[in-house]
Amino acid sequence: MLVAPGQKLRSRVAWRGMNSLVGAALFVAPLLVLVAIWAIVVPLFNVNPRIFPSVGSVAEAAVAAIGDGSLIRHIGASMLRVGLGTFLGVLVAVPLGIAMGVSPAVSAFLTPLFRFFSVLAGIAWIPIATLWFGYGFGAIIFVIFNAVFFVVAYNTLLGVSTIPMTIRNAAASLGAGRWALLTEVLLPGALPNIVTGVRTGLGFAWRGLIAAEMIATNVGLGYMLFVARDFYRTEVIVLGMIVIGVLWLFIDRLLLVPLERATIERWGLVRRT
Amino acid sequence: MKTLSLKNLRKTYFDPYAGSQVTAVHDVSLDVEQGEFVSVVGPSGCGKTTILNMIAGFIPYTGGEILIDGNLVKGPGPDRGVVFQSFALFPWKTVLENVGFGPKMRGVPKDERDRTAREYLALAGLSHAADRYPNELSGGMQQRVGVVRALANNPAVLLMDEPFASVDAQTRMTLQEELTRIWQERKPTVIFITHDVAEAVFLANRVVVLSKGRVLDQIKVDLPRPRVWDHLIEDETFKRLSAQVLQMVRAA
Repeated sequence: MLVAPGQKLRSRVAWRGMNSLVGAALFVAPLLVLVAIWAIVVPLFNVNPRIFPSVGSVAEAAVAAIGDGSLIRHIGASMLRVGLGTFLGVLVAVPLGIAMGVSPAVSAFLTPLFRFFSVLAGIAWIPIATLWFGYGFGAIIFVIFNAVFFVVAYNTLLGVSTIPMTIRNAAASLGAGRWALLTEVLLPGALPNIVTGVRTGLGFAWRGLIAAEMIATNVGLGYMLFVARDFYRTEVIVLGMIVIGVLWLFIDRLLLVPLERATIERWGLVRRT
Repeated sequence: MKTLSLKNLRKTYFDPYAGSQVTAVHDVSLDVEQGEFVSVVGPSGCGKTTILNMIAGFIPYTGGEILIDGNLVKGPGPDRGVVFQSFALFPWKTVLENVGFGPKMRGVPKDERDRTAREYLALAGLSHAADRYPNELSGGMQQRVGVVRALANNPAVLLMDEPFASVDAQTRMTLQEELTRIWQERKPTVIFITHDVAEAVFLANRVVVLSKGRVLDQIKVDLPRPRVWDHLIEDETFKRLSAQVLQMVRAA
């Protein structure tokens, strides 16, 4: 039987859709089991709601927080901070990483430094950030910036220095000048490492953000958790924890993974594990 | 007309392991006419890749001079197209973009360079692969892209550094036949580095035998074209020339 190309493509798309549905189901199933155990255990042992809330009370807290707009406000504040901090971090880190990667001497000198600072978790910057910027937006942005900046700069540096010399030579012998070498070779060549850096950095930033918001602000998901503790509102705390986890999964799965797929995987530069 | 001219070319460098100066290329003089296909053959360590890298401008030379159409070589440039053993295609560019890269660097508008790239892809029988990425192609196909990418830039000299060494034997023979066909159609000036004697003779108008950084001898190859392995493998002249070159390389 003859199959039109479009038809074939459509069935492939459908198959892929099925696959991702199955994948999503397999991903969600263990989480549902956890919720089911929670729903059984809490009433069974008559757990004090000051220690741990029931599923129903968390659901009620969710409805209330959505209803009065507070949840959206906290999420918005957190997302804005993490977005802006990450944007600034990447904006500074990528050009700097490339500049360093071009010179072997400079990159050899700076690699240990960047390695050191990239493992220094974002939270470690909170005390000094509050001293410099006071409690609020500036301190939190600074913490996120640091969490992203060092990891991305280090990975960019690494990415540039691993581009084979023959590829740079090929570009030069085809007439590429300095600028073309940068935009056509070094930047795309380092992109897999840059994306890895952004993914790792955003992970650090997200954790750092929540911690910073507990200390240095009056709005945001971290703040929502921390304040609820003062009133023994365990259902709000657990709701906040769920929102934090789910939001991160969405950022990673819907933003970072597709970005990786669309570019570097097709180029064969990395294989997803 | 001379396109490429090497005059008393010399390369010495400091070997940190030996702790002394090492001379990789002693005193090489060579003239290549426009449209000539020259194979440079020799055992490993004879300096052939060093010479190619100096002509390409990737490494500096320490004595003598290299002239392309009368101009002194000072660094890499689009007048010398290079085909690498490791292909060195840009993994983040499609086949079409890889081939159009040289024209793009010259500022050729997109429509025009796409047309040029497609024309060269057709020359290598790669029209169907234009929108693929290099990693989606076999080694043989990748190197076809490597060859036409260099050609599409219309270089004065095409420098090929053991370009078929990393593909399987059958593919290699096909690529060699295709290269002779493309050479006949376009008549580029080619310097082809190899350690494979049969390959050197099969492709070239002239074989230069190199030993310990010096030109040992040169042999003209007057075999008729088009050259096809099925015919040449039984050809007496081909056999005699190959044996002659082989003896020189082994004695080198």
